[in-house]
Amino acid sequence: MSQLPWTNKHKPKNSGEVVGNKEAIESLKNWVLSWKRDGTDKKATLMHGPPGMGKTVLVETLAKELNFDLIEMNASDLRSGKVIDNVIGSAVEQQDLFQRKKIILIDEVDSISPKKDRGAVQSILKLIESTNYPIVMTANDVWDPKVRGLREKSLLIQFKRISSREAFPFLKKLLDEESVEIDDDALKSIIQRNEGDIRSMINDLQMISAGKKRIIKDDIAWLAWRDRKEPIFDALKLVFTSKDCFTARRALDISEVDYEMLFEWIYENVPRQLSDSSDMVNAMEALSKADLFIARTKKHQAWSLLSYVIDLMTAGVAMARERTKPAWIPMKFPQRISLMSRTMRERALMRGVGSKIGNKCHLSSKSSVRDYMPYLKIIMKNNAKSASSLEEWLELDEELINYLKS
Amino acid sequence: MEAALWAEKYRPKTLNEMRNQTDIVNRLKKFVETKTMPHCLFAGPPGTGKTTGALCLAHDLFGERYMDLFLELNASDTRGIDVIRTTVKDFARISTISGAPFKILVLDEADNMTGDAQQALRRTMEKYTNTCRFILCCNYSGKIIEPIQSRCAIFRFTPLKHEDVLDYLRFIANNEKIELTDDGLHALIDFAEGDMRRGINILQSATSLSGKIDEDTIYQVVGMAKPEDVKNMLNLTIEGDFIKARESLRNMLLRSGLSGTDILKQIHSEIYKLDIDEQKKVELADAAGEVDFRLVQGADEEVQLGALLAKISLYTK
Repeated sequence: MSQLPWTNKHKPKNSGEVVGNKEAIESLKNWVLSWKRDGTDKKATLMHGPPGMGKTVLVETLAKELNFDLIEMNASDLRSGKVIDNVIGSAVEQQDLFQRKKIILIDEVDSISPKKDRGAVQSILKLIESTNYPIVMTANDVWDPKVRGLREKSLLIQFKRISSREAFPFLKKLLDEESVEIDDDALKSIIQRNEGDIRSMINDLQMISAGKKRIIKDDIAWLAWRDRKEPIFDALKLVFTSKDCFTARRALDISEVDYEMLFEWIYENVPRQLSDSSDMVNAMEALSKADLFIARTKKHQAWSLLSYVIDLMTAGVAMARERTKPAWIPMKFPQRISLMSRTMRERALMRGVGSKIGNKCHLSSKSSVRDYMPYLKIIMKNNAKSASSLEEWLELDEELINYLKS
Repeated sequence: MEAALWAEKYRPKTLNEMRNQTDIVNRLKKFVETKTMPHCLFAGPPGTGKTTGALCLAHDLFGERYMDLFLELNASDTRGIDVIRTTVKDFARISTISGAPFKILVLDEADNMTGDAQQALRRTMEKYTNTCRFILCCNYSGKIIEPIQSRCAIFRFTPLKHEDVLDYLRFIANNEKIELTDDGLHALIDFAEGDMRRGINILQSATSLSGKIDEDTIYQVVGMAKPEDVKNMLNLTIEGDFIKARESLRNMLLRSGLSGTDILKQIHSEIYKLDIDEQKKVELADAAGEVDFRLVQGADEEVQLGALLAKISLYTK
């Protein structure tokens, strides 16, 4: 837990070190440097592209490099327009006494919820009108109708997937600094399966290199799922289209992953593949039974029970398909696993905060997270005075403080 | 330094300061008078004063040096049998030298202890009764094995009455010199649902937003504190977007610190509000019960709750 996430530890020190997207980096830099309040250029920039391309990192790095203050907020913080006005409104409209330059970063604007964040887009638009400093926004999907208004007011900068030519030397160097060796084909396959998402490449590498000095292709065998040619896709096809139990059951043999990984794949894709809802419900039922059997197997170390697990998760799902019409729908990588690896650091921090609270408040760390953390976050973000006394009383370190304020 | 979280700052220090659970407090005061007590089991919902009761009892029995004679362990953090075998035993078996009649060991969230650990605890409790008394705190006494229950005096903590919560929150507001309007106070009571801790937490975070607290401030805080909620997930389910509903479930489990059981409890209470046949409500309750049992058996929270959501989506069509 104390080990720093590599995605933090190896953050670029200047914009030249950011991997890939050189054009995008240049245009952002030029735009920031030539930004004038009464200029004719757009007052805001909307950087868009798939997750993990380094959009946020770039802004952070650029601010440091150009010696600008960075005022950062995440769109998920914006419960309503009011909050935006409170938090950054004043910062934007006042000229700084010391003439420090600033960049305002509003992250993930496409995740604003139209219902719950009512007014958020309006507030940002107002902000763009009146700002004294350049505003940079990020989004994964720039064509989301929610952000149409923002799109029209902004300079659009597209971020493309990081090519393997760019990622390879970067990751190699990173591993070098961590004193981890890696076989070329192992690294290539990690790069490939992450489809240009540099952040998850780094996360994957940190995960599999834990406690290892050298990574070989075998180490990542269990990670090698994204390649469309992998046998897992044939296995899934059996699960979702077989008409008899015997054939469906063969899925595990040909999948080349273990039963738990196969389970994750099937579980992810059941609601996507089975469009008829009663088929879907039956398949979920079979999976939940299989899951229960897994729990029993583990609890009693009764590995002979595994056979029934396989029956339920393969044949059980295959037989659930009664009314769904044939259609080609691409298989999706288990999102649960992606989310787990993406939130690895967040969850470690969450547990960290939980145990700090638990120490003082006579609660388990789990209950502390549930009962205190949401409120703690509100206080930390909105009231500097209370925040500092909380920091002291709970003995929070800087990492935890930043997490609570983010 | 003074506690910065109000829920801690305003936790009563002595039994006299406890303003509710009057019957229980009176019995605890008898223990102090006679300087004797049995092993105790404190059962009841969160935020009703179980831990506070134990802390106050120890304080009143032992005075200011109570920290030496008192050990608090949280079973959720240290739930294994090893802890019972080592930490608990080490504390329990060494008798006091200071003339105090016994020590007190509080096991918080004891319903999260594994069965094996409970069995080990049972023997420890028996063996060291002379030197140490145990107070077990839990939400559900049913999750404590019978042999332990039978060794304990059982105290049932009830949800706090609205007036009690109201009085105390008003007291805190006065003490902190906050302007709390009547409608604000009532909204606060509604959201607290008899859980003093939650009430105080909402009040303190509302204070960080605004100097004057009214209904709107309270709503704003509650909205901010619960970005992903069960109702929202159920709405997605009912609208037929199962994939989105499952995502919301996943986020709750991984990122908000809610447990599968927490979520299930909320789903369960929403079932009766659904616009479906009464028979189907019974079926869903049955399914929810099954999920609850499976979770106890160690099944996967997301998969089990996911299957339940799928069922709900079919019934509400």
